[in-house]
Amino acid sequence: MTAPVIELDNLRVRIGKREILRGLNLELRSSTVGLLGPNGAGKSTLINTLLGFWKPLSGTARVLGFDVRTDTRRIRELIGFMPESDCFIANMSAITFVRMAAELSGLPPDAALERAHESLFYVGLGEARYRKLGAFSLGMKQMAKLAQAIVHGPRLVILDEPTNGLDPEARIRMIRLIQEMRALGTMNILICSHLLRDIEETCEEAVILKAGVVVHHANLEEERASNRRFVEIETEGDDGTFAAAIERLGCACAVTTPGRIKTVLTEGIEIRDIYRLAADRDVQLRRLNYRRDSLEDIFLKAMEK
Amino acid sequence: MAVYKRTYRAYSGPTTNPLWRFLVLQRYAMKGIFRSRMLFIGYLACFIGPVLAACVLYLNQNAGILAQIGQKPGIISINGTWFMNFLTFQGVLAGLLTAFAGPSLVAPDLTNGALSVYLSRPFSRAEYILGKGSVLGALIGSITLVPALVLFLIQASLMGMSWFEDNIFIAGGSFAVCALMMALFILLGLAMSSWVRWRIVAGALILGVFAAGKAFGAVLNAAMSTDIGHYLDLQHLLGVVATSLFQNPVPDESISALTASLVLVLVCGLLLLLINRKLRVCEAAG
Repeated sequence: MTAPVIELDNLRVRIGKREILRGLNLELRSSTVGLLGPNGAGKSTLINTLLGFWKPLSGTARVLGFDVRTDTRRIRELIGFMPESDCFIANMSAITFVRMAAELSGLPPDAALERAHESLFYVGLGEARYRKLGAFSLGMKQMAKLAQAIVHGPRLVILDEPTNGLDPEARIRMIRLIQEMRALGTMNILICSHLLRDIEETCEEAVILKAGVVVHHANLEEERASNRRFVEIETEGDDGTFAAAIERLGCACAVTTPGRIKTVLTEGIEIRDIYRLAADRDVQLRRLNYRRDSLEDIFLKAMEK
Repeated sequence: MAVYKRTYRAYSGPTTNPLWRFLVLQRYAMKGIFRSRMLFIGYLACFIGPVLAACVLYLNQNAGILAQIGQKPGIISINGTWFMNFLTFQGVLAGLLTAFAGPSLVAPDLTNGALSVYLSRPFSRAEYILGKGSVLGALIGSITLVPALVLFLIQASLMGMSWFEDNIFIAGGSFAVCALMMALFILLGLAMSSWVRWRIVAGALILGVFAAGKAFGAVLNAAMSTDIGHYLDLQHLLGVVATSLFQNPVPDESISALTASLVLVLVCGLLLLLINRKLRVCEAAG
């Protein structure tokens, strides 16, 4: 089994007198992981710790199998980081900026120039690559930040609020780009975002932090799959016998209020079996919904903990 | 294949030696500095002194030309004092160059939050300081240390091996004084650039540290009838060290060369602490 992308073992980080991360335990193996949490939850501190900017007070954190305490340089070779805030040199052209970033990661000058061109074309800034970064729009700056994060071919890309401040069109472009990067299969992606929809659209796994602890760790693919088995039905007719018939199929079933049934379909039972039962018992199905437990529901539940 | 037709692919080729990676930063910073035409012209003007000094050395030993004005070779005594005066003049120019070039090194990176781009890579804070400092180091060294050593070699070639052997302390002194001066100017330039975002103010402060130290030291000496004010005068401290290293006659001096050197090293240490305090990614990222 390959090493987890990120592995935290009772990680505690203190900044000043305040303990920001309070014993995090996590093992992240998915290629795209979303990091969620309200302001002050410790998301940025966790990212900064993974990058080696903060030293753990106790516990360990490993990135791609390397310890953040002892292998900081090796980790930084394998990581590409797109910060949330502005991080550019205004009087530099995009191509020079991305090339310099590649050279600082160790690429020889010629290879760095070639990769800088490729990265800027990849993020859609090919035509604007000789323009000064100071003259870029916010969306273009975000793309330039992404280009510098991936130019050296990192194995883990950390994106801090990648869609922050983007208009809907630019946001969609960024989301598509992240989905494309995920499909490439060559890099793992850790996305820190306040926008739950962004995480939902791009990530396989989500971690929710609150006050320095992990309050929820969900595999979004599994959550989606389990949601497809949970069905809410509104009926007209004898819902008691109908519910009993569903139970006889082996499905857990409950009549919440008259005319409203909730059931969890077991393996091998499909929606058409429910239709058949209803037809046999002359019960009208007024409404049939899969449970849509969105990430927002998960997040709100986690915040209540 | 045209670059725009290629898709993204991970890089798997060779990488450069991490030991010399700080030179990447130096190269890009140097390009940025020389975009200013005024600074470039100013930098070129700093070589007028060394060229004139080289002419003086040549003419001083040219019997033919000196005979025409009724003089013999060696009209000017080329010794430690001559080299010290040369370095004092070039040192003033180095200070001005630092005041013009220094503020543009770190301040733009802090203003734009670019530190996180540098330091999230396999590139440490020490390498960042080394990379940015080497820009000023190259500029200052090229107008102080390099000309001084070249002039020393010119004079040695004109005077012969015995002069070289007798005056080798001049080369050592030039090296030591220039190294101390470079360290002081580099750290002062970087410290002001990291603490003061406004370039003009940062440049003025670099020069102001020397002027204010001199003025405050003089006031302190006069008011308290003491010599401790000299410890605040960086130019004076450099002068004390240079006087000793160039084996010049020591005036009535209350500070020894060793003490002056230690004070300068202490100042450099304080400046390094100031730089280190400001160059933090997490602070820069807010």
